[in-house]
Amino acid sequence: MRKRLRIYLPFAANELKRQLAYKGAFYLFILVNLFGSFISYYLWMAIYGSSESAVIGGLTQKEMVVYVFMVYVTASVVTASISTIVSDDVVKGTVAMNLIKPIDYRLSLIAMASGNMVYRFLVPSVFIWIGLEIYKINALGLAPVTIPGIFLYLFSCIMSFLICVLFDFCFGMLAFFTTYIFGMRMAKEALLSFLTGQLIPISFFPAAMQKVFDFLPFSSMVYTPVMIYLGKYTGETLVFMMLRQALWVVILYAAGSLIWRQVTKRLIVLGG
Amino acid sequence: MNTVKRYLRLYRVLVTQFLKTIMQSRVDFLIGLLGFFFTQVMGIAFLYLVFQQIPNLQGWTLDQLIFIYGFAQIPRGIDHLFTDNIWLVAYRLVINGDFDRYMLRPMNIFFQVIAEKLQPDALGELLIGTILVVRSLSKGIVIVDGLHIGLFFVSIFAGALIYTSIKLFFASLAFWVKVSGPFLQIAYDMANFAKYPTEIYSKGVRFLITWVIPFAFVAYLPASFFMKAETSAGVVGIECGIAFVLWWIAYALFHRGTQVYESAGN
Amino acid sequence: MIEVEHISKDFVAPKKYPGLRGAVKGLFSTEKVVKTAVDDISFSIDTGEIVGYIGSNGAGKSTTIKMMTGILVPTKGTCSVAGTNPSRNRKENAQNIGVVFGQRTQLWWDLPLSESFTILKEIYNVSDTDYAEQMEFLNRVLELQDFFDRPVRTLSLGQRMRADLGAALLHNPKVLYLDEPTIGLDLVVKDNIRKAIKEINEKYQTTVILTTHDIGDIEELCSRIIIIDEGRKIYDGSLCDLKDTYGTKRKVSMEVKQPEKIKGLRLHTVLGMQENECSVELNQESSTLCVTFDKHRLQVPQILSAVMEMVEVKDVQIQETELAEIVKEIYNHGVGGET
Repeated sequence: MRKRLRIYLPFAANELKRQLAYKGAFYLFILVNLFGSFISYYLWMAIYGSSESAVIGGLTQKEMVVYVFMVYVTASVVTASISTIVSDDVVKGTVAMNLIKPIDYRLSLIAMASGNMVYRFLVPSVFIWIGLEIYKINALGLAPVTIPGIFLYLFSCIMSFLICVLFDFCFGMLAFFTTYIFGMRMAKEALLSFLTGQLIPISFFPAAMQKVFDFLPFSSMVYTPVMIYLGKYTGETLVFMMLRQALWVVILYAAGSLIWRQVTKRLIVLGG
Repeated sequence: MNTVKRYLRLYRVLVTQFLKTIMQSRVDFLIGLLGFFFTQVMGIAFLYLVFQQIPNLQGWTLDQLIFIYGFAQIPRGIDHLFTDNIWLVAYRLVINGDFDRYMLRPMNIFFQVIAEKLQPDALGELLIGTILVVRSLSKGIVIVDGLHIGLFFVSIFAGALIYTSIKLFFASLAFWVKVSGPFLQIAYDMANFAKYPTEIYSKGVRFLITWVIPFAFVAYLPASFFMKAETSAGVVGIECGIAFVLWWIAYALFHRGTQVYESAGN
Repeated sequence: MIEVEHISKDFVAPKKYPGLRGAVKGLFSTEKVVKTAVDDISFSIDTGEIVGYIGSNGAGKSTTIKMMTGILVPTKGTCSVAGTNPSRNRKENAQNIGVVFGQRTQLWWDLPLSESFTILKEIYNVSDTDYAEQMEFLNRVLELQDFFDRPVRTLSLGQRMRADLGAALLHNPKVLYLDEPTIGLDLVVKDNIRKAIKEINEKYQTTVILTTHDIGDIEELCSRIIIIDEGRKIYDGSLCDLKDTYGTKRKVSMEVKQPEKIKGLRLHTVLGMQENECSVELNQESSTLCVTFDKHRLQVPQILSAVMEMVEVKDVQIQETELAEIVKEIYNHGVGGET
């Protein structure tokens, strides 16, 4: 384990450094992403203003404010975009190069994504989180989050991160079938923002669809940690939700290995 | 007149060549189209789910919101179709020096930038926009008479020009900062605010999207003119005025930018 | 044809700091660094001249060319190409010039070469008769027909260079700029490209400006060279003059039987010369003695007989100083009074 860490840690450190190097992009992407949250915020305010009941989809207006911004914090930490790297490697043919290196391709990508995650957690997510918490207590008059609550949330986030990375790895493999990964990504992001609960809480979906979602990994990506943070899951439900996250980590890991093995086999045959 | 003719012929020649290259992969074309189509469908699905819980949104019905949403996609799609290459100026061409090639040819530089590419992905937006507008027509929530039909096309054109101008303005910053993509991204994403009635926002945000980066004039404001008889046609007039002023500013900045362009390799 | 007067170009860049800490620091710093890439250069070139524009990497060659082609606007000074100001009348100037940048193609990457030529014909407004005539000429000197229907991305480097040269010449420009036209090419292709450039120059009196690291290009093509270093012009004149003035050193190397016998040899004292007129270098391992001397002061036989008196010589090689070394010499010491 120690040795592994020594091999893959530089990938994470490098990524962290690379991210810091883009001065302009650094400040700006924070704003870009927050925009979406503010649109949602205003939209939800108007929706609650037009609603006859105080609770919609199981959330009060105040909880919805927390939901909107915690979704942003969570998504920006856990979302990993390694599929671009994978597809780039596939298109340029450098994937074959990775086969002869004595390192695991997927692990190196995960390490890189971890560096990215740490970076995004430090700037800006943690500040927005603290800001939100202050706003929540002072302006909304809600109870502050508990220490165990924070740990449960962070633990759930780590599993979410793994689910996202492993899923994105599989997604990147699509580059073997189409070179136009930009279009695919558009579709993926649209779909994910919807199915992970970023756009609208899963509880707003019709009951039948929610049943279907139970068997898909998407709600485990963002919705679950945010609900844990909001204290909506307790006792058995909480344990069940976290186990489900763990299960998805295992399933997606296995799926990724399977696809990777198939792809490399083909690569060797074709001499890609 | 001769110049216009020459540029039209050049545009045909250049775009034909571009289409020849992309026709080589029809799958990509389909995926791109679906990607953008899908993104918009999700926006509609969101509205639909919300309206399961509420009867109206500050007086607007679901059908009306869908019209605003759909109408907003058409100028966006037109601009996206014709001027997508501006993104490359912001992200890549200036920093890596590929912009050199435009400087070396005896043609207008902006013309060369946009003539180099058509973005078929935009058809996804145009498609959903048209479907939603036609749906609104069939629901009878849109005013149909000579004036409104005429101004509909004027408004779409002016809206597309506003999009192009905002893109060109922020892309031109690349001549000074090398990569202006993130700035452009922010400005472009402001358009998402204008898919909904601006009354839902706070005063500051409303001012920003109406008068600073005036996407409200591309979508929500003219859309309300087509639905509500009491809205004055002056909205479209202001939209055109804004479009021309913005275009003038953006083009001047772009032109100034080509004068300070530093190429690459220094 | 070309008048360059006191032209300068400055680049301003934000200051960079090393390391991870530097990256963080860079986020908050607004310090700027000004770099003068071209510093007060003037020259004038006549119609039909082929001029070699040389200098080490980063000396300011490309920057000067980019100002003459209208890509960059000079910070100071003016330049005029075929009577027009390239940055002020960019389009007009573009019609007068042809440009080949060695590492970067101007052709449409995914299209057959023939399509690129069709587009260029439209862009430069070439009439059908001119097009036919020019294509015939280009086909003869560059042999484009061999790969005229293949997509540009499938062409070999040599073919692509021929294609790029052809594309730059389609509208029969008055001035042709070539930035590293033979970089990465093999000897045969290099030779063909050089021949083609010569032929074009002879037929149309095209003025050619050529930057290169390949001394062969210069020796074959250029009657005149301009050398720049750190943004300043340090030499402007004919190749012969340069060789006469600076190429006075010759080298003779001898393989000797017992190198230990002549260890620490001071040949210049033996021959009664100054040290800078005759220096030796002894390589014990390969047993070679290398003598560099001034060809106006000494003859090879004098050296040979002097050495052979001390040690047995097995083999002798005489080398003329190459232009590359002259240029290197100039970079190192500068040229007195020649700016």
